[in-house]
Amino acid sequence: MVDILHEIEAAVPALRRYARALTRDFDRADDLVQDCLERALAKRGLFRPKGPVRAWLFTILVNVHRNSLRGTRRRGEVVDLADIPELSVPAPQPGHMALAELDRAIGTLPNEQKEALLLVTLEGLPYAEAAQILDIPLGTLMSRLGRARATLKTMTGTPSEPHLRTVK
Amino acid sequence: MSEISRDTLMAYADGALSPAERAEVDAYLADRPDAATEVALMQRQANAIRTLYGPVAAEPVPPRLSVDKLLQTQQKRRSRFWTSAAAAVVLVGLGLGSGWLLRGQADTPGIADQLIADAVSAHTVYVLENRHAVEVNGADSEHLSSWLSNRLQTTLAMPDLSASGLTFLGGRLLPAPNVPGGRAAQLMYEDTTGARLTLYVTPSPGPNTPSYELANLGLDTALFWADDVISCTITAPYPADRLQAIAKTVFSQLNPSGPDYRT
Repeated sequence: MVDILHEIEAAVPALRRYARALTRDFDRADDLVQDCLERALAKRGLFRPKGPVRAWLFTILVNVHRNSLRGTRRRGEVVDLADIPELSVPAPQPGHMALAELDRAIGTLPNEQKEALLLVTLEGLPYAEAAQILDIPLGTLMSRLGRARATLKTMTGTPSEPHLRTVK
Repeated sequence: MSEISRDTLMAYADGALSPAERAEVDAYLADRPDAATEVALMQRQANAIRTLYGPVAAEPVPPRLSVDKLLQTQQKRRSRFWTSAAAAVVLVGLGLGSGWLLRGQADTPGIADQLIADAVSAHTVYVLENRHAVEVNGADSEHLSSWLSNRLQTTLAMPDLSASGLTFLGGRLLPAPNVPGGRAAQLMYEDTTGARLTLYVTPSPGPNTPSYELANLGLDTALFWADDVISCTITAPYPADRLQAIAKTVFSQLNPSGPDYRT
């Protein structure tokens, strides 16, 4: 029991990072992580180590986020794209414009594509683990990744390549 | 050299290939500048995403996300559950009981649709709640069950869905303007991934109610079922076939003396 608490605690920074990228909103992201942790702590007795604790936590986070999207849609809080503040954008630096553009482009992706893209690129998870977290077949994961990348490419355009290169 | 699929190139860019597959793609890219540019772009996208959001993980974790703190609040909360539990059990029972006595007065044509809409609204509101998801803790299910059974004069058990991987969280009383008695009980279950399923149980709205309806609502699926005694709407973010499988378990347990559930 103590071990699982340590593992949950160790995953918090990654959960925050993933939630922030999903929502692009500081407070909403931490709300999601708090919900996720509360559910995980309440259920930790039921957890059967089939896989890593981390993957289990990400699954809960993805579900909590999907639930919150449904709630938002019902309340009709649709925000115009142009009104979205540029959160998570670092201070001006070479490549800043390209990154801000990418941040906005990610915000327009359908949630299912965003979930997949961020698990693989940002969290660096293997395809099999990402597919398991999202509860989809490997082929579906790859097609979502492909579509997400194609959209980002169209939206951010190839001319920004030189900028992106500077921020590696 | 044979053509290499976009998926393979993407897996290469994401470092998801075995060393042997990698070598094969390396050789392929050597004389395909187009494909090499494509791969480089995918890698740049991934790098840029890590640059954008990666620093979040290095930020100090705010106190409200401390595991110790969350554990403490959880334990405090647990002890407070029982006070409200008793009152809620009585109210749920009153609602269903008076509904049973007044049944048959509101059998308008669209009643099933109205009940599904009520059930889905309630589902949407309460599955989002962590602390106030239920009024009556699942641990009190025996009491809740025996009380309802007496009122409805039938054997009405709190369905055990653990075979479907669902834990009983508990129940709450809700207004149900479309049925006699005006009250409904919502029972909530949760699977190990945090996805939640609710049962919305009301006294039977009347003899002309359709016995079965399935509604697909985007993320959620709702399944409505009614007999002479009760109506029940099951709502969950599951595909229809999985919900139907769960529904069979629910109906046989909710009302074992009733007619068999048929799809």
